[in-house]
Amino acid sequence: MPSLPELQAAFARAVIERDERPLADWIVAGRGADAQARIGVYRNNVFWNYRKTLDEVYPVVLALVGKAFFNRAADTYARRYPSRSGDLSDFGGKFGECLAGWPPAAQLAYLTDIARLEWAVECVFHAADAALLDLHALAAVPQQDLPSLHFGLHPATHIVCSPYPILRIWKVNQPGFSGNQKVLLDEGGDALLVIRRGGSVELERLSPGELALLQALAADLPLAQAHARAREAEPDIDLATFLQRHVPGGTLVAFRNDKGSTT
Amino acid sequence: MPEAKREGRGPAAIPIRAGIGLRAPHAREMIDSRPDIGWVEVHSENYFGEGGQPHHFLERIRADYPLSLHGVGLGLGSAAPLDLDHLRKLARLIRRYDPGLVSEHLCWSATAGRHLNDLLPLPYTEEALAHVCARIDEAQNTLGRRLLIENISSYLQFRHSTIPEWEFLAEVSRRSGCAILLDVNNIYVNAVNHGFDPLAYLAAVPAAAVQEIHLAGFDDSGPCLIDTHGAPVADEVWSLYRETIARLGPYPSLIEWDTDIPSLAVLLAEAAKAAQVLEEAHALAA
Repeated sequence: MPSLPELQAAFARAVIERDERPLADWIVAGRGADAQARIGVYRNNVFWNYRKTLDEVYPVVLALVGKAFFNRAADTYARRYPSRSGDLSDFGGKFGECLAGWPPAAQLAYLTDIARLEWAVECVFHAADAALLDLHALAAVPQQDLPSLHFGLHPATHIVCSPYPILRIWKVNQPGFSGNQKVLLDEGGDALLVIRRGGSVELERLSPGELALLQALAADLPLAQAHARAREAEPDIDLATFLQRHVPGGTLVAFRNDKGSTT
Repeated sequence: MPEAKREGRGPAAIPIRAGIGLRAPHAREMIDSRPDIGWVEVHSENYFGEGGQPHHFLERIRADYPLSLHGVGLGLGSAAPLDLDHLRKLARLIRRYDPGLVSEHLCWSATAGRHLNDLLPLPYTEEALAHVCARIDEAQNTLGRRLLIENISSYLQFRHSTIPEWEFLAEVSRRSGCAILLDVNNIYVNAVNHGFDPLAYLAAVPAAAVQEIHLAGFDDSGPCLIDTHGAPVADEVWSLYRETIARLGPYPSLIEWDTDIPSLAVLLAEAAKAAQVLEEAHALAA
C-alpha cells in the first residue's frame, strides 16, 4: 500500500510522463473502464486545462501556427516547464522561452517575440492600479532640481522590443481585422510600450530616444542622465515633448526628488 | 452569522437563494443589468492579480450582491507543503471583498516538483484523513475563518481506500470543524462512476455542517461521467437536488458553468430552476 506522497508522485508521473506503473495497480478496475482509461481521463483534463490556459493568453501565437501545432507546443511546454502554482495565471510566463528552444518552431524566428509581447499584455492587464502623477507637486519642484529627479513607471506598463515588425503581426491577427494581412518580416523592428488604459491594454510605438529614456528611468537613473542616454539613441529628442506624452499619459506615475520631497 | 455591512456595499451573508458562478464574459452584463439573483461566486484565483479591470468589475458586483470565494488551487490534500504564498493571496482577497463564504475542495493537486492544476482524488484512508484535516486546520487558522470544503467528482478509486467517500467527507468536517459545500452533481457523477447509491451518500452528510450546494452539468461521452461544467444540469441531478433539499434542508445553491459558457440569460434560467426548488421547500416549511 503506497503512502500518500508515493501515491501522488506516481499519479503525477502517470499523467505527465505516461509512466502508468505502479499507479495502474493501485486503482480499482471495472465498471466499464480499466485503469488505463481512468488515468487517461485525468491526463486529458490536465493537458486540456493547460492548452486552454495558454490559448487564452497567446491568441496571436495560436493564429500564427494553427491549433494542431499550438497544442503540440502547449503539451511540450507543460511537460518541460512544470506548473509551480495553484494559480494558472502564473503558468504561461516562459512559453516564449520554450518556443525559442523547440526545434519545430525554429523556422518561426519572430514567434518567441510575439509570445513575449502577449505575455506582457497579460501581465499588464492584471498589474496593480496606480494614480496619475501629481502634476501640482511636479510643478512645484525647483527648476534646479529637475535634472536630478527620479521617475517611476506605472506598474501596468511593459516595454517589448523586437527586430521583427511585431506590432503589425499582432494587429493583423486580432479578431475582426480586415485589411492587408501581409507582413514583411524585414520591414523593420518595433519598440513597444504595453500600457493599460481604462482597463484595456494598448500597444504604442516608442521612438529610439523614448525607449532609451524610459528604460533609463525604469533603471532609476535621474532625469538628466536618462536624457543623455536618450540623446545617444536619438540626438534631437525633446525632453518637454517626452514628458508631455508620458506624464499626463500615465506612463510615469511617481517621482522622487533626492534633494527634497517625494511623491 | 454577523453581517459585515460597509458603506456602499451590500451585506456579506449568502442568502438561502440561488446564485451563479460569475465568469469574465458575463461581468459587464451583470453590472449593467443587475439581474435579480441572490448572490454570486467567483473563483478566488481569477482575482489573485493586483489590479485592473477584473477588480474594477468585481468591486461593482460586490456592491450589488453578496459574494462567495471559491478556490480551485490550494489543494489541501497534497502531500507537498501548503503553498503559503497562495494562502497569503487568498487572505488578501478576503480582506478586500468581505465574502460571505470561502470554499476549497477535498482533493490534492500538486507534488513537490509540479502542480497538476486539477482536482485530484485522495485515497480514503486514515492517513489521508489525518493529513487533510491538519491542512484544513492550518488554512483555517491562517485565514482566521471557517472554510467550506467541497466533495469532488472522481474518475477512479484506489484499492487501498478503507472509508466510503461520504464517511470521509463527514469525518473531515467533524474533525477539522470545516463546513461542507455539497456538490450534488459530483455525488451523482461518482455514484455512476463508482457504483453507489447517492441516497446513501446523502444519509451520511451532516446537515448542520452544510452551508452551500453546487449544481453543474456533466459530460457522458467518455469512459465515465466527467464533471465538465459545460452543460445544463442533468434531470437526474435536479431530482437528486430536490431529494437533498427535502432531506437535509434548503441551502444557498449555485449554478456553475465553466466551459462552452452560455449567455447570461441561459445561466440565469438555470438558477431560476434552483430558486423554484428552494421556494417550494420554503412553502412546504411555512
